[in-house]
Amino acid sequence: MSVDADDLVKVGPASEFDDGDAEIIEVGRAEVGVVRADGEFYAIRNQCPHDGGPVCKGNVQKELVGEFTGTGQRVEQQYSDTDIISCPWHGWSFELETGIHIGDDRIQVPTYEVVVEDEIVYVHTGD
Amino acid sequence: MIDAAEETVIDCDWHYQDSFKEVAEYMPEPWYTKYKRSNWDDAGVKQNLSSFFPTSTGDRQNYGKVLREHSNYPDAPEEPERVTEGMDFLDIDISLQISHLILAMGGVTADDERVQAFTRGYIEYMLEEVLDPDEGVYGLAPMPYGDVEASLDILERVEDEEAYVGACFVTAGASPPLGNRKYDPIYERCEQLDMPVVYHTGGSGLDEYVRAGYQEMIETHTLGFLESNMSQIVSVACQGVPEKYPDLDIVFMESGVTYIPGLVSRLDEEYLKRPEEAPLLDTRPSEYITDFYFGTQPLEVSARNDLLDLCFDMIGTDRLLYASDYPHWDFDSPSIINELPMLDDDDRRAILGGNAIEVFGV
Repeated sequence: MSVDADDLVKVGPASEFDDGDAEIIEVGRAEVGVVRADGEFYAIRNQCPHDGGPVCKGNVQKELVGEFTGTGQRVEQQYSDTDIISCPWHGWSFELETGIHIGDDRIQVPTYEVVVEDEIVYVHTGD
Repeated sequence: MIDAAEETVIDCDWHYQDSFKEVAEYMPEPWYTKYKRSNWDDAGVKQNLSSFFPTSTGDRQNYGKVLREHSNYPDAPEEPERVTEGMDFLDIDISLQISHLILAMGGVTADDERVQAFTRGYIEYMLEEVLDPDEGVYGLAPMPYGDVEASLDILERVEDEEAYVGACFVTAGASPPLGNRKYDPIYERCEQLDMPVVYHTGGSGLDEYVRAGYQEMIETHTLGFLESNMSQIVSVACQGVPEKYPDLDIVFMESGVTYIPGLVSRLDEEYLKRPEEAPLLDTRPSEYITDFYFGTQPLEVSARNDLLDLCFDMIGTDRLLYASDYPHWDFDSPSIINELPMLDDDDRRAILGGNAIEVFGV
């Protein structure tokens, strides 16, 4: 990982995160949530584009998807591998990796690169 | 403004005043004999206190105020030649006939035969007596959608008939609603046949078989037509019919246009909060719904122009189909479209006829 240390904001030890945990930090003037899901770290702006709610205080789940398998058949529903986080105010849900709303890809919450070095989690400011 | 009389005008919703007595001649047994021996009259409502199809609230003609010069409606069954007489009166080149009587089918719970028997008889009666593509008189085949097999039989019967250019689903009283997978085989067949699905609101909308208790037709007709169509638009969109059958042309008829922006705006808000409940959709429901076609009648011409302008912009003038609803009480003549100040002449031509040519291939 070749990032300038000046562009990193320290979050804390990776060992202190369990899956589903989120830590809210300041990146510049923005609140950013650092979230662990399936052992991976993600960072996403803690502001829902819908009504300004604290996205990162919401639940992390797998996205429920459906598939049309044939005329007259029930839509086959299953939880996919995609991790999503849902704003607790109204349920707007976003892919953790991309910040894209799961129902409309024109809506996106800013995401940030996460760096783990020496077991310490950092968020890259993007500057 | 264009001279509508010089343009091709296609009326996507003309109601043929069919009578049970005449259609019964073409019904399969035992309904052919049952009907004749039942003392049901033309309207199918005599036979003491029961009726063939349910009746609805209010008086369509507003207690003698509304008269029809070019139709026998509502006093007697229509005569086929009066259709072309009415078309001449309105300067309409092509009309799509929809059964008047079928509009009450959603309330039939008496048995699981009479809607099927009626639609079979109606198909033959209209072919034999009324429809005439050479004169511009086409028809939509009513679907007894509660019985999928019977609906597929109807489609098989009409698939090679030039006179039938679409399948008609009455939206009032459909249970389960029409997005349910139960109806998939009908949609699949319609897509294969390149036959548009025309959802038509029905009854008075909020009749006793949908929601009892309203007093007057101004209430039931205002609310019910919207509710019947809205309930099916939501079901068809959320259950993913347009994703399952992407080449299927979907038309909603006879609720005007102003309800569409309100409905899709509300539905989109719901969807963005719970999209996993419409898992077949790739984007907002409004994106699918504004790909549907909408009959314009009864157009809310007394509304503010900027509201109508917004409606046309959201739906798209390439998705609007002129419909008269003649000879019903609230029909629209082509001038309703032609005189709208916010449309240009190309839009007027498209709504009055061009879009219908695209959809129905007439």
